[in-house]
Amino acid sequence: MTSSAGSLLSLNNLGKRFGSLQALEGVSLDVRAGSVQCLLGENGAGKSTLCNLIFGVYEPSEGDMVFDGAAWAPESPAVALEKGIAMVHQHFSLVPRMTVVENLMLGQVRGVLKRHEFGARIRDIAENFGFTLDPDAVVGELSVGERQRAEIVKCLMRDPKLLVLDEPTAVLPPGEIGALLDICRRVADSGRAVILVTHKLAEIAKVADRVAVLRTGRLVADESMAEADMGALVHAMVGRELRPLDVALAETDEDVEASEAPKGFALVCDGLTVHDRHGAVRLDNFTLEIRPGEIVGLAGVEGNGQSELGMVLAGLLRPTEGHFYIAGNDLTHAGAAAVTAAGGGIVPEDRHAVACVTAMSVAENMFLNKLDRFTRFGLLQRGALNAAAQKQMQEFDVRAAGPEVAFSGLSGGNQQKAVLARELTLDPLVALVAAQPTRGLDVSAVEAVYRQIRAAARRGVGVLLISSELDELLAVADRVAVLYRGRLVGERPAEMNERGAIGALMSGQVA
Amino acid sequence: MTDRRRLLGMAVPFVAVLGSMIVGLLLIAASGKDVPDAIEAFMDGAFGSAFAIGASINRAVTLSLVGLGFILAFRANLTNVGGEGQIAVGGIAATALGLWPPIASLPLGLAVIVPLLGGTLAGAFWGGIAGFMKVRFGTNEVISTLLLGFVALLAVYWCVQSTALLRQPQTSSATLPESLQIADAAKLPSLTGNAESPLHIGLVICLLLAVATAIVLQRSTFGLRLRAIGLNELAARRAGMPGGIMMVVALAMAGAFGGLAGAIMLQGEQYYLKTGFSSGYGFDGLVVGLLSRGSTLGVLAGALFFGFLRSGGISMEIMAQVPAALTLVIQGLIVIAVAGSVILVEKLQGAR
Repeated sequence: MTSSAGSLLSLNNLGKRFGSLQALEGVSLDVRAGSVQCLLGENGAGKSTLCNLIFGVYEPSEGDMVFDGAAWAPESPAVALEKGIAMVHQHFSLVPRMTVVENLMLGQVRGVLKRHEFGARIRDIAENFGFTLDPDAVVGELSVGERQRAEIVKCLMRDPKLLVLDEPTAVLPPGEIGALLDICRRVADSGRAVILVTHKLAEIAKVADRVAVLRTGRLVADESMAEADMGALVHAMVGRELRPLDVALAETDEDVEASEAPKGFALVCDGLTVHDRHGAVRLDNFTLEIRPGEIVGLAGVEGNGQSELGMVLAGLLRPTEGHFYIAGNDLTHAGAAAVTAAGGGIVPEDRHAVACVTAMSVAENMFLNKLDRFTRFGLLQRGALNAAAQKQMQEFDVRAAGPEVAFSGLSGGNQQKAVLARELTLDPLVALVAAQPTRGLDVSAVEAVYRQIRAAARRGVGVLLISSELDELLAVADRVAVLYRGRLVGERPAEMNERGAIGALMSGQVA
Repeated sequence: MTDRRRLLGMAVPFVAVLGSMIVGLLLIAASGKDVPDAIEAFMDGAFGSAFAIGASINRAVTLSLVGLGFILAFRANLTNVGGEGQIAVGGIAATALGLWPPIASLPLGLAVIVPLLGGTLAGAFWGGIAGFMKVRFGTNEVISTLLLGFVALLAVYWCVQSTALLRQPQTSSATLPESLQIADAAKLPSLTGNAESPLHIGLVICLLLAVATAIVLQRSTFGLRLRAIGLNELAARRAGMPGGIMMVVALAMAGAFGGLAGAIMLQGEQYYLKTGFSSGYGFDGLVVGLLSRGSTLGVLAGALFFGFLRSGGISMEIMAQVPAALTLVIQGLIVIAVAGSVILVEKLQGAR
């Protein structure tokens, strides 16, 4: 397809090579003004590379681009921004301690600061696109969704012709996704083009005009949403048929009863209470008991105490009150090393901040809490470490060029599989606390993560699964507890017909 | 590709240093001094005699030790700028132990070793304080190590002013505020046996420690843990590493190297404590550590370079009457040239 009339951005046979890796190859695509173009693909399919080419972060190795009727080869993101392409990155670039207006003024104003004028402009833009944003709010106190809207306003202030959003829904709680999609629609309706990069199929149906699918750097589908068939899109994206999540995971369900639980609880939370620095209650008298072999889902909109609970159970935060026990050991004040030693596997919600050291190698990260095993006379036996890592990478399907490559080079899904491998291979393993373990992962990685969690439960591990994806909890967990404003507000069996009741609990309506 | 890179990596700093030296010579000419005279004085002071070479290498030993300590702590992302103070407390401890009457009668070279260890421990304690403050109160270690440095320098002053502490007992208007000379048995043995050369076994200690540092940083699990803490403290703690203790240990180790440097200076060359006993070695060592970019070999190379530079500079000051300030200016130019060329090399290499 060559560039056609009405297209704002045309990519012609675009390719990008990093060393020996062909990240993108022969991608041709037209993005029309006034439309929402979805870019679908698994992690590592080349979506980010494509965005970075459009936004001037990289230079294409082959092919060319046409934007707004002229050849497009921006030397840098700054140039791209100036000429009408704005991008909201997956990781926000706002200064948490400053207000929205201060953040948005950064780099945009010179000389005397006119806060009020600028604040009014922010309000206007937000209103134009159907949402509200308080310019004087401190960014650090905003929800993720609000921060994202601030980022979007920041882009819209430059009056771009094309707005690129990289995985915008990955960070959002379910309730905020709809609002974001509405904003996308309105931006497109204002005559601009929107490129929405995602790997969540379900949500694009609501907003996309066209959908393009990337797989291993090639464009494997490019069609109008109206004509697209969801099943065909999944097939195009992963390159094979995928069983529905719950079917895939439920297949060995009967075995769970078979390995009848040994006495005692795997994990007990007894009245855990956390106050933050300002004295506000973040977690309020949280009590929950998990038996060996049981998967308990903890549902709740993000920011209702899940993070604090995760940090307490990881041994990184001392609760104000209450205790928690793994296999009967009180670990409340024992610290992270003791949690690991007692058999508490932890998959933290913030992978980059808590779970791994991205600048270190895959092997080092996979054995970060077990380095003593590879230490002789204080020296690290790198050969043994790398060999063990290699073995575990195969076992857990962690795809990387080798155990010695930097962890940061792995896709999100592979990083998560590596973290999971590390925590699931603890000896002993009594309880697993996995917080948002599938966030930002593509379909096949999600499936792999839950398969592993299920398998662990079958071996008698008690699992606490903290997630804001209700459908996943219903598919994987045995029962679902709901956290609202730091309190446990109810518990339901994990059955599809309980979906409404759980949703009501999540939104704070007492069932 | 690697050959070219390596060539580039060496050529750029070399040209930069050469360039800054030429600028330095121009400055000397501009100040009205005779340039050939100055060059001759510099060469004389740096390489001219067995004495000059020995003195330069001894300086390099001091700088290396401080630099090695710096890169150890820096691996945990801790910046120790308190080398000067750590040298000072090391010097105080070594003097006190070197003046301790029973020291001379200790067997098996303990007369030398005990003050060296005393200086090391004093430095470790001094660095450890900064580490403790960081972990306990969140005090930035750049500030605390720097300020503790001033405390230590004033402690030297106090020690040599007060006869109750380390000042020589007979004082008159003619005596300077200094300590007595330490016992002969506590002085570091000469390395060459040549009375002309001040070169002492500090060099051997330094090289052994350099090897040890390289092993710790590159091969040991401890080194990897330091790195993990430096890169992501939270993740390191989640993986069960005692983040706080490791930070205290890292700064204590940096301090230990500084304290040992102070003890070696005192037992190797100076033999008695006086104010201004370390004239900026702590800070030069810091620069050596920074420029090395975490490489042990880099520390040794940088320390040698600065050791000779300093010896030559002093001689230039005395023999050719080049103002002291000017030699410092030249040193500063060289630091900028080296640091800048490192960045330039990285850019050039990154571009291909």
